[in-house]
Amino acid sequence: MTAMLRDDRAISAPPPADEAGGPALKIDELVKRYPTGTEALRGVSLEIETGEFFGLLGPNGAGKSTLIHCTTGLARPTSGSISVFGHDAIEHYEQARLAVGLAPQELNLDWFLTLEETLDYHGGYFGMPKRERRERSRELLEAFSLGAKKDDRTRTLSGGMKRRLILARALMHRPRLLILDEPTAGVDVELRLELWQYVQRINEEGTTILLTTHYLEEAEQLCDRVAFINDGGIVAQGTSEELAGGYGVASLEDAYLELVGRKELSRAKISDVAP
Amino acid sequence: MSAGQIRFCALVRREVNRFLKIKRQTVGAPLLETFLYISVFGAALGSRIDELHGIDYVVFIIPGLIMMAWAINAFANNSSSILQQKFQRAIDDQLSSPASPLELLLAFSLGGFLRGMLVAMFTFTAASVLVDLPVEHVLVLIPALFLVGFFFAQLGVLVGVRAEQFDDVSFAQTFVLQPLIFLGGVFYSASLLPEPFQTITHFNPVYYMIGLVRYGFLGYTETNVALSLTVLSLATLALFALNHRLFSLGYRLRA
Repeated sequence: MTAMLRDDRAISAPPPADEAGGPALKIDELVKRYPTGTEALRGVSLEIETGEFFGLLGPNGAGKSTLIHCTTGLARPTSGSISVFGHDAIEHYEQARLAVGLAPQELNLDWFLTLEETLDYHGGYFGMPKRERRERSRELLEAFSLGAKKDDRTRTLSGGMKRRLILARALMHRPRLLILDEPTAGVDVELRLELWQYVQRINEEGTTILLTTHYLEEAEQLCDRVAFINDGGIVAQGTSEELAGGYGVASLEDAYLELVGRKELSRAKISDVAP
Repeated sequence: MSAGQIRFCALVRREVNRFLKIKRQTVGAPLLETFLYISVFGAALGSRIDELHGIDYVVFIIPGLIMMAWAINAFANNSSSILQQKFQRAIDDQLSSPASPLELLLAFSLGGFLRGMLVAMFTFTAASVLVDLPVEHVLVLIPALFLVGFFFAQLGVLVGVRAEQFDDVSFAQTFVLQPLIFLGGVFYSASLLPEPFQTITHFNPVYYMIGLVRYGFLGYTETNVALSLTVLSLATLALFALNHRLFSLGYRLRA
């Protein structure tokens, strides 16, 4: 592992809770129907407590990204409500958006900008004054071992560096709720473990985290609680142990396979038949 | 500065920074183009054309060239910037920020507006050095140029938001915008055209825009200045209202 967190300063340390209060994320009866008629979310309700590390698991097309997009304003819900720390996230979204940091699945960096500009503009969009932006971006670039590259354009970065920059950008405005949409999809083992360390530390520093992932081991390792989403609805939630217990199986993975109706794939069975 | 002001400045800075980073293409190329027009049409052909309505030919075409520079750059900047950001999904960074639809629309509009203004100002300065360019009605000229710039900035935003591929943007520019501008009488006076082309020209909105700008510089016009200004203002307002509606709905920006 070459690029580890380089200093001991807090990289997230979100601002203290404001007066509105309420759970970090509260979703009620959320429905999202696309113009094509596809119903990506069919009345999802979900609550994430402040300080939690929460995992959202489900197969491709289950509605994970749609749920995240509805929360961050990238998709318009058909009906239902979303609040972030008690602030409405759909109509009067300003306070809610300020509280959320999004690290999307796609490496959606702007080719024209340097690393420092990427963070600086993001801070600007979230209303941070210049001096604060400068200090914060320097701190994050150092923390994510990107300081030497600060004046390079983002397109010159390797995949791993882009991933780290996306995480830094999401943290730039000190969000109290960090949303990670499949942060480790397609990354190598070193970067995956590195990202795990980053996000674990961010969570310990007080930031609530919502993580979507395909990797059950990742959810098991990181998350306090997990929800299974399938076909646009939450079908089960709890701790890994609770979920496994609920399905009468030994691991989160087996519980997941029960959920998607593919229990014949269970690794327990593979080892049964192995010589 | 309040958080809202910081936010709006950052949104505009991003747009201006983008075109300044590729200024050879976004400012240099249009300037060169304008100079080529002036030298080919003004110096080479103009010596044979003499005067139009008592005005030197090269002087006659410069107001149209300045307007065209502003219009095309405002359009091209906004349509490509928005499409490119949609393409990379980098625009999600702005869309998931606390910025309102109005702030986003204004910031995207201003990028092209300011680029067009920059090119137009360079063109004006250079033209003033080369020829004796009068400014007869500054109180018509400034609002006319600002309205034209803002109108095409809005049009660029609209095309950029609607576009799904780069071909959509270049199609609009090559097959719609350029012909309208060229045939609107940048290089000639429509009154010299034979029928039915003279009448057809009267259905081209750009004809009235050029009329306004030419009146502002030279004091010469074939069109009704007050009516043109009114209609242009209303058209710009209507386009802005449409864009604002689309931004509020998240049309092709938010799923």
